[in-house]
Amino acid sequence: MFEPLDKLLTNPIRLMVMSVLIKVSDCDFNYLKKITNSTQGNLSVQLKKLAESEYISIAKSFENNYPKTKLKITKKGVLAFENHFKNLKKYQNLDL
Amino acid sequence: MLKIKTHFIMNHSEQLNLINEAINKTKEQLKPTSINFIFWGLLISMMSLIHYSFPEFIQKTAYSSILFWTIIPIIGMIINIIYNIKVGVRLGFETHIGRALKLVWGVFNIAWLLIVVLSIFKKQNPVEEILFLLGVILLITALLIRFSPIIVGGIAVIACSVLITLSTGVNVLLINAVATFVGLFIPGLSLYLSKKHV
Repeated sequence: MFEPLDKLLTNPIRLMVMSVLIKVSDCDFNYLKKITNSTQGNLSVQLKKLAESEYISIAKSFENNYPKTKLKITKKGVLAFENHFKNLKKYQNLDL
Repeated sequence: MLKIKTHFIMNHSEQLNLINEAINKTKEQLKPTSINFIFWGLLISMMSLIHYSFPEFIQKTAYSSILFWTIIPIIGMIINIIYNIKVGVRLGFETHIGRALKLVWGVFNIAWLLIVVLSIFKKQNPVEEILFLLGVILLITALLIRFSPIIVGGIAVIACSVLITLSTGVNVLLINAVATFVGLFIPGLSLYLSKKHV
């Protein structure tokens, strides 16, 4: 059966963030900014959306007087990503 | 840098490609791990050779050899921890494999300290236990990062530990120097040159 794709994960920046976070145990904001090649504002908006859906958790702290933002994928996020990936595979087979 | 579409709806293949590229870009960097191996391989084999060459100096008092074998490795551990923290900050992420390696080697450091402290009370040479533990940890590391020279190194270190246990008259310091050189330095160097990522 074909399920509809998770709309939250069809956005390229959000999908890329989730793809990175599935591989790591934690990751900082600057690395995501670098790898997604996006602006700080845009990335913050996309991260907020993922956090509101409880796909990721965001922890803010200070390191040497500089603010540091650490991100982790949640269990709900892992399930959503795995489901999205499976569905993409099914749809890709249909495309062929 | 990855080129991503930000204002268009991606099709299924584009989404899969994006996932693939992002995962491939975020790989465990094994160069710092190889530097750790090279550092410890050189340090411990040099210390063993220094102890072997100048026993009258290292064993001058009842505690001088204990101090030699605890203070220098502890300083080494501190340098190692600072280096690894700096590498972690520079990278900006920690992979699941990286975290597993950190925990495994953290447990090894604690076990090493315990073995050394217990051996002082029991007045026994701890080399054979430490080498056995090191060999096991090397095998776990090799299986995690899938790098066969470390498997060979781990087996060699365990063999050296068995050799110390079964043979009488072997020089423990020389065996220790060979074991750490073969088990840490050589696999570390081959890992450094391999440019492998996992």
